[in-house]
This record gives sequence, C-alpha cells and structure tokens, in this order.
Amino acid sequence: MAPSQNLDAEGITRRQSLAALAGAGALGLAGCTQSTGNGGDGGDGSGDGSGSLSGSINIAGSSTVFPLMSAILEDFAEQHPDVDPDISQTGSGGGFSNYFCVGETDFNNASRPIQPEEEELCGENDVEYIELVAATDALTIVVNPEADWIDSLTIEELASIWRSDAVETWDEVRDDFPNEEIERFGAADTSGTYDYFIENVMGDEGHTDDYSATEKDNAIAEGVAGSEYAIGYFGFAYYFQNPDQLKALEIDSGDGPVEPNLETAASGEYSPLSRSLFTYPSMESLGEEHIAEFARYFVEQTTNEDLVAGDVGYVPATEETQEEQMQKLEDAIEEAQG
Amino acid sequence: MATDNANAGGFGEVSRVRGIVFEYLSFGASVFGLVALGVLLVYVSIDAFDLANASPEWLLTYFLTLVVPFLAFCLYSANDSEVTRRALAALGGGLVAVAALFTAIEAVVAPIPRLNWQLAYLFVVAAPVAAYLAYVGSRGRVAAVGFGLLGRLVGGAAIGLAVGTLFLVFDELVWFLAYTFGVVPAAALYAYGRWRAADRAATAAIPVGLVGLVTAVFLRRVVTVYPSDLVIYLWTIAIPVAAVGAFLVVDRSGRTVGIVVAGLPLTVATAGGFLAAGAGLSAPTVLLVLVLAGVPTAVYVSRVIEVGDGIVGLGLPILLAAGVAAGALIVEAWGVPAPDPWLDLGYVTEAPSRTPEEAGLYPAIVGSVIIIALVAVLSFVLGVGTSVFLEEYTPESGVLGSLTRLLQINIANLAAIPSVVYGLLGLGLFANLLGFGFGTAVTVALTLSLLILPITIISAQEAIRSVPDDLRRGSDAMGATRWQTTKNVVLPEAMPGIFTGTILALGRAIGETAPLIMVGAATTVFSAPSSLFSRFSAMPMQIYAWANFPQADFRYGVVAAGVITLLVILIGMNGTAILLRNRAERGN
Repeated sequence: MAPSQNLDAEGITRRQSLAALAGAGALGLAGCTQSTGNGGDGGDGSGDGSGSLSGSINIAGSSTVFPLMSAILEDFAEQHPDVDPDISQTGSGGGFSNYFCVGETDFNNASRPIQPEEEELCGENDVEYIELVAATDALTIVVNPEADWIDSLTIEELASIWRSDAVETWDEVRDDFPNEEIERFGAADTSGTYDYFIENVMGDEGHTDDYSATEKDNAIAEGVAGSEYAIGYFGFAYYFQNPDQLKALEIDSGDGPVEPNLETAASGEYSPLSRSLFTYPSMESLGEEHIAEFARYFVEQTTNEDLVAGDVGYVPATEETQEEQMQKLEDAIEEAQG
Repeated sequence: MATDNANAGGFGEVSRVRGIVFEYLSFGASVFGLVALGVLLVYVSIDAFDLANASPEWLLTYFLTLVVPFLAFCLYSANDSEVTRRALAALGGGLVAVAALFTAIEAVVAPIPRLNWQLAYLFVVAAPVAAYLAYVGSRGRVAAVGFGLLGRLVGGAAIGLAVGTLFLVFDELVWFLAYTFGVVPAAALYAYGRWRAADRAATAAIPVGLVGLVTAVFLRRVVTVYPSDLVIYLWTIAIPVAAVGAFLVVDRSGRTVGIVVAGLPLTVATAGGFLAAGAGLSAPTVLLVLVLAGVPTAVYVSRVIEVGDGIVGLGLPILLAAGVAAGALIVEAWGVPAPDPWLDLGYVTEAPSRTPEEAGLYPAIVGSVIIIALVAVLSFVLGVGTSVFLEEYTPESGVLGSLTRLLQINIANLAAIPSVVYGLLGLGLFANLLGFGFGTAVTVALTLSLLILPITIISAQEAIRSVPDDLRRGSDAMGATRWQTTKNVVLPEAMPGIFTGTILALGRAIGETAPLIMVGAATTVFSAPSSLFSRFSAMPMQIYAWANFPQADFRYGVVAAGVITLLVILIGMNGTAILLRNRAERGN
C-alpha cells in the first residue's frame, strides 16, 4: 500500500504536531463557546413554556378503522408536534384482549361493538371506557367484473352462499346462474368484519369453512379478480378506491336492489350491510389533557367529508351523531378529570 | 464447473451424458433462485423509481451523461483492448438482441407489463456490463483509487447519518460528560504511557476512564448548563476524528499536509453546521456527515497524491456529479418528460401520511437503525461470549462434558424455533415480567437479539473451532495463560468468521416482522423516537401496513420504495461489516 516513504529531512515530531492540533482544537472550541450562551437547551423536553400539549397516545385495534384513525392522527400530530402518537393494527378482538383491557393502550378501534367476554376482561382489570362512533362502513359484496350474469343478490341468496352448509354451485343459488362451482374469499375469523357478516346475513346458520380467509382486503380483491365465478366481501374503502377492478353487487333486503355507495350507506337504505365503526377511549387516559384533546379532535373530524369519504372511503357521521358523541365525550372527560 | 474429461475414454458414453445432464441441472438450480430474485428486484426498482413512466429520451440522456462516462472510466482504468472489445460487443450486440427478443415476445406471446425494451436493456445488459467493468477496472490503479474515494465519501456520510440517528435516543449530554471526564483522560494517560514507555500510566488508563464514566453519570444529574449541541459534537467527535486523520498523515507527509488534512474538513464541517442551523436543518447531523465523510476522504487523497499513482482516479466523483448535473440540465432545457420517483428525499425525511405522494418512512427508518444497532452490539457480545466459553473453557469429557453437549444440542434446536415464538417470549419476559414496556426499542432489540443468538453462537463456534490447535499449543508452549491465548491467538484468527456469521444473522433481524407484532411494536408512528423507552415502529411493520392500503399507489409505488430503502440500509450495514471483516483478515 505504501511503497514510498517520504522522509522529511527535519522530521516533524509527534509532539509538535500534537501541540499544533491541540492549539487548533482549543481555538476551534474557544471560537464556538459563544453559542454556549443559550446553554441548557438539552434537557429532556420538559421546557416548552407555552403550555402546548405533549405526551404519547397509544392506539391499537381494528385494521378496518386503521386508515381512518391514522389519517386523523397524522393531522393531529402535525398540529401538536410534541404529542407522540402511535398506532398498531391488531384486529378488533386482538386489540381488546391483548392491549386495551390490560391497560396498555389509550384507544382501541373496533369494527363491531365490544363483546361480553371483552367487557368482562376489562372489568377484571378495572379498565373503564366509553364507546365513540367513528364512521359508517358499507360491507361490500364483490364479484369478478367479467361476471355479467349477476347484478344483485337477496339477503337469503347471500346467506345460502356463505352459511355453514353452503351451496356448491351458482345455479343452486338462483336457477338462471351458470352451473359452476363458487369460489369464496372472505375475512378471517379474527376480524370484526367476519363477526358482523355472520350476525347480519347468516344469523344462526354460521359461516362456511370452505373459503379463503384473510385479513387483507387486497388478497380478497386479487382472488376475486382471478376467477369469473368467485365472490368475496370486505369493507367499502377498497372498492371505493379501486372501482374498476371489481364489480360490487346490489343487495336486496326486501325493497329492491340497492347499490353500496356513500349516500345509501349514510341514509341506511343499504341495509343490513352498512355498519358503524367504533373507537373506545379508556376513562383513565381521558384524564390526561392531550388525550382528551385528541378525542375531541377525533369526534370533530368524523364529519369531515374530504377526510373520511375522500381520503379513506368511509361514510362520514351526521351532524346529529357528532353532537351526541361530543356530549358523551365531554361528560366522560369531565368525570375523568373531575 | 468444467467436467474432467481426461479419463472420458475409459468410462464410455453413458457416464458422460449423466455428467453433462447433472452439470446443467445444477446450473439451472443455481440460476433459478437468482433469476427469480432478479426479476422481483427489477420490478420493485421500476415501481420505486417510477421508471415505467420514464420516457426513452430521459433514459437516453442519463445513459449518455452518466452510464457511458462511467463505463469509459472503467475501460480506461482496465487499459486492456481485449476487455474494451468485449464490452463494446456486449453492449452493441445486447442492444440488438434485447430489442429484437422483446419485440418478438410482445408480438407473439403476450405483452410484458410495465417494461419496455429500453428498460430491459438497462437491466439485462447495461447493469451487468457495468458491474463487470467495475470489477475489471478496479484491478487497475485508476479505478481502484476512484472507487476508494467514492467509498469513503458515501460510507463516511452514511456513518455520519447513523451516528446522528443514534443520538436521537441516546443522551448526548451524558456522552459529552463521559467523553470529557472518562475518555479524554484515559486516552491521554494511555498515549503518554506508550510514548514515554511508562507502563504504569498506560495501566492506569482503564481505571481512570471508568472513574470518569461514573463521574459523568453522576454529574449529569447535577450540572445544568452545557455547551450547545454543535460544540458538543465538535468536541467529542469531529476533533478526535480529525486528529486521528492528521496523525495518519503527519508521519508520511509532514506537518503542513497533516494540518490541511485535519483542518480543511473540520472547517468545512463547522461552517456547514452553522449554515445548516440557519437553514433549519439539524446542525449536529450535518457536522457529523461532513466530518466523517471529509476526513477519511482528505486522508485518502493525500495518500494517493503522495504515492503519485492513479491520481486521475480521484476525478471519479467529479465525473459522476458532472454527469448527473449535465443530465438534469439537458432534461430541463429540452423539456424531456421525467419520471416522478416514489423514493425521493421527502420519502426518507418525512412522516407517514394518508396520501401516497406525501407518505414518508423517516420514523420507521430511525426505528430500524436504532434497533439494529442495539441488536448488533447485544448479539455480538452475547454470541462471542457464549461461543468462546463453549469452545475454549468447557471440558470435553466427564459429566461437565455431557452437560456441554446437552447445551450444544439445545442451542442448535433454538435456531430452528419460529420467530413468532420468540415474539411470545419477548412479550412475556421483556415486556411484561421485566417491565421494559410494550413495543419499546429495548424490548424489541432484546427479543431480536435472542432470535438471532443461536445463529451467531453456532457460526462463531465454527470460526473458533477452525483455528488450528497448533496455534493454541504454540501459545501454551510460550507460557501464555488460557486468557492470553484466547485474546491474542484464537479471537484474532477467528474474527473474520465471526463477523460473517453476525452479518448474516443481522440481515435476518432487520427484516423480521412477526416478533415485532407480538411484542406490540407500533405499525405507524409519526415522529422519530426520542428515547429507548418510547414506542417504535420499524420499516417492515410500516411496509406491511402500506401493502394493505386500498389505494393502488400505496400498494405498488410506496411499498416498492420502502423495499428499496430497506435493501439499501441492509446493504450499507453489510458493507460496513464486510469492511470490518476484511480489515480483520488483513490484520492476520
């Protein structure tokens, strides 16, 4: 590496170069000590005199509510740079049993109301909470865009496809459908969507095992897009953002077929598949000012059409619902901070 | 690769056919995975850099201003007419072949999505030829100098960024006190001891240093006034780095050069730090990047000039920068439509967002870097410790010997346990029982360290076992104790192998998602973590979440950009470790 060593006649000793360097370093340091005047800026972030909000917000729960909640969090974090929020998608049930009801998170998102076992668990750990409605979702039934033989289904027909002793071929659903096997793609049983679907479509008849189960909407979409005789269901957001990739079926619950869109879901016409999405703040957390402020901000944003409908693809809450929720929240905050 | 045909006559036709079939089968097997991976990476890069929307004119512009000069530089360095002829033939012939083949496939079989023949040429012909020429060229002095300089610039900047990132969670004030009262006196004592051959002073260095560290932790609670961040970094990192650079140069090139080599980058970096503070950037990070890139670069340049061979190679960074500038100028002047890459500066410096155009990975990048730094330290210390104990200190026979074997078998079994199980262990042990918190950096790092520990131990054991026993016996014969033998003979000899095993294991740790989900790491955080006990996100978590978003731009563009970022950081990490390994190898 070093073939030619240039031997300086005088030879600079290490002592001299050390002295030179020390001198330079001292000079450099001395030059910069002027900026020491504002010393003590380090600290651990407690010195923000303006009384702005700070602290962390931990959120877990439903992957259906995740896009909505993280969109609102994003704006809140931008307005309050000292607040440090984080959000995880654990599924509604996973969030309650692993994090929320053991007191690890401040909010839990859910795509269905809290269930009795979960209430019990929260009770055991003295975790109190209130229920806030986040938005409305329209559970969307999709088929392949090539499937021009089908436009709508009645609730009974839908149940015959998905109940536990489900029919095998399409012509068993309705006589004029083709004699082809049905391929099903749906939500996994950890998902709130799965629970909601059973409760409102099949009732006691349960859910078939003969389907591809996943938590991921785009896996369902790819599956349905891959076969003309496939059917799947998921939340409205995916279909809303990719309307050309799949065909949404109109649902007939007795008053003629209704297509899923923001209006029919908001008005309740698209029943029984329009559902409320929830978030559950814990009372203890609402006692902290920055979390109470975020909860207020959240309820305010649930009527924001650009955000809820445009960016995320859910149905915004009505003004009435918002007022109701805000009242409930303010009462809870007062009690918590009381 | 080549079959041995010397005895072909003696075996007859049958065995030759089998041999040839076997050769091609094994060739196919080895190529299959590489081709599949290559196709994946090509598509991911096309998505991340929006190359599908790059106009042919744009590609041609940068091909001429950036790729061609680089190839010419390599050819000039190789200085071999045979290589030049072959490279030109491959580039020209490849152009015709790819264009023809691509058009034929599109016409006859099916259209190939998101690719055109220009891109195919770039990935299938130009990139391999460039890699080959870079390899051939680097055997010549000119390109070796060019790559050496480029590597120091890029590597130094990367290390500067990494160090700056680590100080986001580590308290720089403690570091300042520890450095001032521990490291500096200890280093001074040690240097004095070596210089005056005063052993007592050198021996005193370690205790003095330790006392200084304890003092620092104590003082941190008492002292309330500190110098500004910039001064702290200047004093604790920039000046020592510059001093080391100067020492490396002074002996060879004299005092003036030494002062220039240390002083120039230091001045530039300090000025840069002050300017950055004015421009709203992080002054310490700018200072660190400039110093850690500048000093090694200056040392290298002075050495190359001193040696006087291959000075032309120093022009490589200028050549590339000029190429980028010229390309940008032409694109701007002629209004060539340019692609809009997902992976840009905003992507790596901003927080996640609901709109794909504004989405960024910054908090997750910081999280991953911090976690991986902790994992590297933890698993290296624990892994090397365990393997040294198992190989050097445990008896091979008797009751203790069988206990050791039992331990060995268990470690080998641990390596096969699924990562989700380690996640559960982390959740139960670190998050709940020891109370390090759900999804904090400490919990995540400890869990991941446990996960890769068996791999680290086993590979370190292999490396230690491969040190010839003759060396140990020789050391024993000189009267060395077991500790001296381990320290002076075994570990230096085994270090390259230990590094290799650790690199592979760390590569696995940085990409893990399942244990992170189990210990409750956040999917999304909006600001970089401020302490080791705040909630973290990591790159794989955020990428996984984006892959599930309804908007197609997220699932293709943003996710692809995340994958490329993850790969770049992985390569950077491995590159550092490989450099350390090569250094250890050369040390032998």
